[in-house]
Amino acid sequence: MDSDGCAPVAAGFWHPRRSSRAVPAHMRMTVKTVIVTADEDAAELAAGSPENVTVSDRIGAIPRHILFEDGSVFETDDNDAVDDWLASRFCSRTGILHRLERFHPRLALFALLVVVLFAGLYRYALPAAVELAVAATPPDATRLLGQSVLSSLDHSSVLTPSTLPQERQDAIAGQFRDLTRKTPQGEDAFTLLFRGGEHIGPNAFALPDGSIVLTDALVGLAPDDDAVLGVLAHEMGHVAGNHSLRSLYRAAGATTLILFISGDVGSGIHDILVQGTGLAALSYSREQESEADRYSVTLMTKAGRDPAGLARMLESLDRHPHAEDGTDFFSSHPATPARIEAIRRHAAQPPEG
Amino acid sequence: MNRTENNAAPVDKPEDIRPEPFQFTGTGREYFGIWIVNILLTIVTFGIYSAWAKVRRQRYFYGNTRLAGHAFDYHARPKQILIGRIIVLAGLFTYNIVVNLFPLASLALLLLLFLILPWLIMRGLRFNARVTSYRTVRLDFHGRYWGAAKAYIAGPLLAAVTLGILAPLATRWAWRYSLGNLRYGGRPVACDPNLKSLYGQWWLSALIVLIGFVLLGGFSMSIYGFLGWEDSLMTKNEIRIAILSTTYLFMLSIILIYAFAGLFYRAGTRNIALNAAILDERHHFSSALSRRRYAWIAISNLLATLFTLGLARPWAAVRMARYVAAATTIRIDGSLDDYLNQVTETGPAISAEYLDMEGFDFGF
Repeated sequence: MDSDGCAPVAAGFWHPRRSSRAVPAHMRMTVKTVIVTADEDAAELAAGSPENVTVSDRIGAIPRHILFEDGSVFETDDNDAVDDWLASRFCSRTGILHRLERFHPRLALFALLVVVLFAGLYRYALPAAVELAVAATPPDATRLLGQSVLSSLDHSSVLTPSTLPQERQDAIAGQFRDLTRKTPQGEDAFTLLFRGGEHIGPNAFALPDGSIVLTDALVGLAPDDDAVLGVLAHEMGHVAGNHSLRSLYRAAGATTLILFISGDVGSGIHDILVQGTGLAALSYSREQESEADRYSVTLMTKAGRDPAGLARMLESLDRHPHAEDGTDFFSSHPATPARIEAIRRHAAQPPEG
Repeated sequence: MNRTENNAAPVDKPEDIRPEPFQFTGTGREYFGIWIVNILLTIVTFGIYSAWAKVRRQRYFYGNTRLAGHAFDYHARPKQILIGRIIVLAGLFTYNIVVNLFPLASLALLLLLFLILPWLIMRGLRFNARVTSYRTVRLDFHGRYWGAAKAYIAGPLLAAVTLGILAPLATRWAWRYSLGNLRYGGRPVACDPNLKSLYGQWWLSALIVLIGFVLLGGFSMSIYGFLGWEDSLMTKNEIRIAILSTTYLFMLSIILIYAFAGLFYRAGTRNIALNAAILDERHHFSSALSRRRYAWIAISNLLATLFTLGLARPWAAVRMARYVAAATTIRIDGSLDDYLNQVTETGPAISAEYLDMEGFDFGF
């Protein structure tokens, strides 16, 4: 005892192996040994060498646990004494994390860094990852994706066989083919499919593999052929921009980002973030719509057709009585006056613009 | 070791009963550093550090929760958590690919998920219990599959289809399952909250929902009525968009009403459940949360966190932990000295991580 007079001593409790019993005790730590002695009768309760005891990490001011080889545990609030001992024994091994976490002006810098990094992650890293994932997706996967969606729609009678006269179908298909030849992707990138479909009304949509589904009702409603082709060119814009794949990956990325942060923000903020990404996806899809609109105008101009065809189609749709459950072309393509105006303005510009 | 014999005899004198309050000793100032370093390193390591971050966060909160002079501890190892998270992410990834590639199979897959959810909940609760210790003795959980199915699938379903009228029944099952299956040193926790008392905490929340719905109904009726005017100046389009956004606001309001009423309900039923909980047939739990105070702390915490871009979160989390701990007491009958740890294996962290990442919230 005398020789260890200057060794750090920590007061606390000693628990026998597996037991909840707590014996008031203190622990004396020297370079070679650690000894726990009972406060009451100075009996030695546990002893070990620094190599065969396990010391728990320091986190804030929570109690430290020193586990001995015999399974007994010494518990102490005296973190500093334990740290002093660890420092003398293992040089600079004491928790670097704890030193980073201590209250210090440096933390303000960390906070700033977190805000900047998080914004950068969302603004740049996420879109970059989406691009990477789109580029890495094999064409086979996109084909499978498109075909399985189509077959499930066909099987669940959302789509029915087209009742459009064959000559009308051929005429539209011919014009569609002329249009595809003017795209950088070429004729083979797109397939036009005619379908009936009471539930979805006048409608057209693109699948990731380049299939474009056109419903009879939309053809029936169109004031002229250029209106139909304008819509088809819009859908080709979605295919050319890989829009469905992009939204898919973007949603997955945002969800993953939230997963990693959710434990640190609490469940209320977690729910708000989930709702927020839903809204962000909505605005993202609106961006995709205007991108496809511009694609339609440019392509129609290039093909020598009326670039305002899409705008005319949207106006006819607006006058048409809508499906009550909101599943027609309109619900995914709200024809706001601003949007029709934008298409017309873009159509009036010289082709380079 | 010479003192083991003295303390082994159970002390059963009634005069030894003493109430011991829980206490949370963490501070916002101290937790801020841990929290910001956690997030920073999680971002810098592309999420890998999140497992270490979770362990540090949990150890901070458990280690600062004290009862009768001793703190709790959290024992999950970061690598265990990391492996759990990787498996869960891979599973979610595969699930989403399958759902997108084979939309027809998604219904079957959803059904399958429903079937294994009780198992995941059971295993998750067990893991969380087994990594928790007090005075070096681990908690354990002995719930079974059907108990979880009843408490977390059938209960919420029943509460939902009855618009919340049977919610106290679901609450009773959930507490009975999650708390009533806990063990400490092999000794059981009994928890059987009385249905009548649970309904006693229910009517206030029901009233809040009712008043909220009446107000919302009146409000939206006038808006829809306005939109339905024949001689409205708006085009069909604008009406359509207005209806869509009104509907969205309507749904949002319903969620907010339920969340608000739920705060009162959660605090009230926690009191009932803990007041009906007994450890080892002699130590009685009790909880005395004020519903209004609890709701106020939860709401002001959320607003403070929102308006500081999340930076007030450490303060908010500590504030809530402090309040909830201070309102919780155990009436210790005799001594807590003679419990022996029975748990040696925690099992993998996968289920617990799945529940954690999906936002399931089980706070004991």
